[in-house]
Amino acid sequence: MKSGPPKNLVTIKGTKDGLTIMMDDRCSFDELKTELQEKIEKDKQVFGHGPEVEVTVDTGYRYVGTSEQEEIISLLKEAESIRIKEFRSEVISREEAERLREEESLTSITRIVRSGQVISVRGDVLLLGDVNPGGAVEATGNVYILGTLKGTARAGLEGNTGAVVCASVMEPTQISVSDVLFYAPDRYEKKQRQRPMFDEPVFAYIEAPDNQISFEKTRLLTQFQNKL
Amino acid sequence: MGEAIVITSGKGGVGKTTTSANIGTALALQGKHICLIDTDIGLRNLDVVMGLENRIIYDLVDAAEGRCRVQQALIRDKRFDCLHLLPAAQTKDKSALNPEQMKQIVEELKPDYDYIIIDCPAGIEQGYKNAVSGADQAVVVTTPDTSAVRDADRIIGLLEQEQTGSPKLVINRVRSHMSSRGEMLDVDDVVSTLAVDLLGMIVDDEEVIKAGHQGEPIAMNPKSRASIGYRNIARRILGESVPLMSIEEKKGFFSRLKGMLGLKA
Ligand SMILES: Nc1ncnc2c1ncn2[C@@H]1O[C@H](COP(=O)(O)OP(=O)(O)O)[C@@H](O)[C@H]1O
Ligand SMILES: [Mg+2]
Repeated sequence: MKSGPPKNLVTIKGTKDGLTIMMDDRCSFDELKTELQEKIEKDKQVFGHGPEVEVTVDTGYRYVGTSEQEEIISLLKEAESIRIKEFRSEVISREEAERLREEESLTSITRIVRSGQVISVRGDVLLLGDVNPGGAVEATGNVYILGTLKGTARAGLEGNTGAVVCASVMEPTQISVSDVLFYAPDRYEKKQRQRPMFDEPVFAYIEAPDNQISFEKTRLLTQFQNKL
Repeated sequence: MGEAIVITSGKGGVGKTTTSANIGTALALQGKHICLIDTDIGLRNLDVVMGLENRIIYDLVDAAEGRCRVQQALIRDKRFDCLHLLPAAQTKDKSALNPEQMKQIVEELKPDYDYIIIDCPAGIEQGYKNAVSGADQAVVVTTPDTSAVRDADRIIGLLEQEQTGSPKLVINRVRSHMSSRGEMLDVDDVVSTLAVDLLGMIVDDEEVIKAGHQGEPIAMNPKSRASIGYRNIARRILGESVPLMSIEEKKGFFSRLKGMLGLKA
């Protein structure tokens, strides 16, 4: 589909976001490399010596692994004033697909997470039960607890700063989203209050300007996620 | 064929040994054949609480290692012919026994008794694993303080992975004036955090300490409130539905608790 006439395996297009290098996805990788090298030699003027150009490499339906990506990168380095923005491809490996599927999935678990126990999930987790003090629930995505959170919850384990921790009853020991931490007030302060921290379900999230954990009513979660 | 019940807690000093001695005694009072096993090797004291320390010749480790038959290591109680104790070794440590040996001993004893009550050491290591290995059921003892409840929760989590299934809870040393002043956790808080069935509550009573000192379990004393608590627990183990004893006079408290536990009044 992306294969043009012969000897036009590599086409360079200018777009408003910089250059896109489209690569034929039927020929051999070696042919591609040879032509890319020639193009770079010849089209020096395209890349020029002017301000840095952002380049997107589009490999169509060809799967390009990291070692092939590196080969392309080293060829492109020949041309100065180029910065590779991204590799784009219509295909991904089975492994990546599996990981993506996991990241998108919701795992639901019915139990009490007791002291000393940790539940760790890729993607989002829905816990039907309590997290007791000393217990922890963690996810690369969001943590939803239909019960009382008295222990620890960690959302966005691998750096997703837009992740949230939701709980029907929020009385946590500790919450983190990505690498932002929240500690519960000391027990003494809690005693003084004599009431739960919140009288309705809330979610914890990273509040952008201060980069700290804040709590908001769960019914405002849609607004928060729309803003992202 | 008897049933083996392990009495455990995670934390030390919350009343496992006291509970083992008194549940055993209260069941013996009902004419049941009971064998108590002390698995706290190196720190034995169930024999002291039962007032039987002078009679020990062989112990659990001797029986496990075949230096004597299991029956030879048993001590008969002073008060009840149907109540026996298999004492722990005092000179060894927890590694002197393994779960396989413990299981075998419990299996050997089961045909001769209605209940085998296993007193577990503190902690979650070898000693705990030994004690739990032979048990069909588990009772978790806690006091109403935060750290004891935390450890009870940990133990319940571990027990849920054993064949003993979901354990039953005993809350010991309950002091009504403290929870109403917010100095201790409320019994309600404890039960709702741990989310297991409540088998009974025992008041904090200095008579219990005296009784332990004299080697006469409090369950023998029909007047003490702690004793009534233990006797009620024994009746519940036997399948009777006994209402929870009123520790606190506050109105509505027990009906609320009972409702929560699905117990009939
Ligand atoms: N209900 C109670 N009221 C008062 N003292 C108690 C009560 N239960 C236990 N004790 C005391 O607490 C101490 C520890 O009890 P013990 O049964 O030896 O705990 P464990 O076996 O869990 O270490 C003992 O001195 C005992 O007499
Ligand atoms: Mg003990």
